[in-house]
Amino acid sequence: MSAQTMKGFEQLEGLPEAVFKRLYQQPATALAIFRRMLPNLAKTFVMAMLFNPDPVPISNLEHWVHPDKNSLKEEAFAKLRQLYLVTEKQGTFALDPTFKNELRKALTGGGLPGSFGLPCDTDDKNKVDVAFLDKYATEQWESILHFMVGNEIPSFKRPSEGVVRLLLHGKLMEQSRMSSDPVITQVGFSFLLQEANSQVWTLLLLYLDMAEQVKEMNTNLWKLDLIIIICASQLRMDPVDILHFLFLLGSLELGQDYDMKNLTPTQKGMLEDLRDYGVVYQRKVCNAFEFLTRWISLITLKSSSRRFYPTRLATALTSEIRSIRSPAASLQNATSQGDGNGFLIIETNYRLYAYTSSPLQIAVLNIFAKLISRFPNLVTARITRDSIRQAISKGITAEQIIDYMTVNAHPQLRKNSPVLPPTVVDQIRLWQIEGERMKTTPGYLFKEFSTTSEFNAVCRYANDLGVLVWADHNKGNLFVSKHEQIADYIRKRAHAGR
Amino acid sequence: MVRAIKGTLVECDPSIKAIILDIDSKTHDIINLDESHLIIKDSKVAELKRILEERLNEHTKVDSLEEEEEEEDD
Repeated sequence: MSAQTMKGFEQLEGLPEAVFKRLYQQPATALAIFRRMLPNLAKTFVMAMLFNPDPVPISNLEHWVHPDKNSLKEEAFAKLRQLYLVTEKQGTFALDPTFKNELRKALTGGGLPGSFGLPCDTDDKNKVDVAFLDKYATEQWESILHFMVGNEIPSFKRPSEGVVRLLLHGKLMEQSRMSSDPVITQVGFSFLLQEANSQVWTLLLLYLDMAEQVKEMNTNLWKLDLIIIICASQLRMDPVDILHFLFLLGSLELGQDYDMKNLTPTQKGMLEDLRDYGVVYQRKVCNAFEFLTRWISLITLKSSSRRFYPTRLATALTSEIRSIRSPAASLQNATSQGDGNGFLIIETNYRLYAYTSSPLQIAVLNIFAKLISRFPNLVTARITRDSIRQAISKGITAEQIIDYMTVNAHPQLRKNSPVLPPTVVDQIRLWQIEGERMKTTPGYLFKEFSTTSEFNAVCRYANDLGVLVWADHNKGNLFVSKHEQIADYIRKRAHAGR
Repeated sequence: MVRAIKGTLVECDPSIKAIILDIDSKTHDIINLDESHLIIKDSKVAELKRILEERLNEHTKVDSLEEEEEEEDD
């Protein structure tokens, strides 16, 4: 499911050049982008250029790549260009000077103290431990999930207005005509089945999106109303500041308290919201001094402690793509859904027994199984073709369903290997394929090449770029998902031929 | 001279392709590439998917009926 997270990052890749240039001004962000957004080969290229004062000839970099792996090379180059990390001049690559500087600082130390978060120098009187943070993060996060499936449970409080607005903005929920409370949408359902880290990223990127939109319209609204001031945590937010802070959070240490005096006003405002999501923990205090500063800055709305603790949700943000699973899994272990507490039993006859009374879990089950009967601590359900097809039509994949069932399998079921009955797993996959009788790819068909050699060259080039979808060598047809670079290439060849 | 055409590539089994060609027999919007590939206009994709789903469901209804009967036995 890291694919989902990657989708989030693709959204970031569309940012304009100026934004990237400003993003690179912080060592924590430079490091996070290096760690998280670059493929391994691109990292190697960056490292080759990092401590080199002169631009590096592209041919030198190409020497490092096996001739068979041209597609990897093109992917790495494309990514470097896309993120505006390199400038190309007369066949040489030069690393963006700001990025170069900041990444050097990040790797070798140096730069301003506190560029990776400023730990508090005094002891917290009310120090909290990791277990508390885990509990806090889980409670906050689950209260959002519970709210999405429409459960009002006394033990979970309703998420704040900010969270509700965010869910509405992201179309995870929509206002219904029937009741005053919003109801979950199909997008919301598939969100529920994602693993925690992707969920966090999805929400944070939505947050970024919303902050940008509010920024556009805020200028006139500013003085209108006190309510606007209450929303001020969303007003006057700079997307670059937000991203800096998100990337910074990813490099903080769990269990350590950080001082917020280094943060910009935007980031201080963000802390309010992040606290609601359970991404950071901040103790609320109220004193006269804070009351005054509140009127001066208009940013710190609810008075709060000057220290904040990142939770596991925050520290997992920019971990390596492959290790996403582990921090999320450790969070799950900390919650009631851990290994020892699985609640699902699936039999080979497609019957499903869920030892749970949690409305959230039952609501999630209802997404892909047909519920039959409910007892105080047990729900029985059945997986049918219709229930799976319905889930798939909502954009949920068979893998998501299987993952969910595996993660939540009852200890009794866990003794088996494989955990889930293979017949059921295979059948769920088959039901998915059934709906995919045809695969569609939008793009461009190129045909009527004048010579075979031209066709072959274009074909190879498209393959290296990774845009080739299909080619018929006999008839000389090829289909690509993007045409701009291909068209350029054909034009260049035509020029060279003349 | 090379020609480029914008469209959507459809990849499917020959059996499904036969159905698609049948659906298209009135409109002729499709460029036939080979036994498992064809190109249609981007705007027609959703409609084609819907019609194809309908045609296929005509055959699978029997299965879901059986399933319900079985459940009543429980």
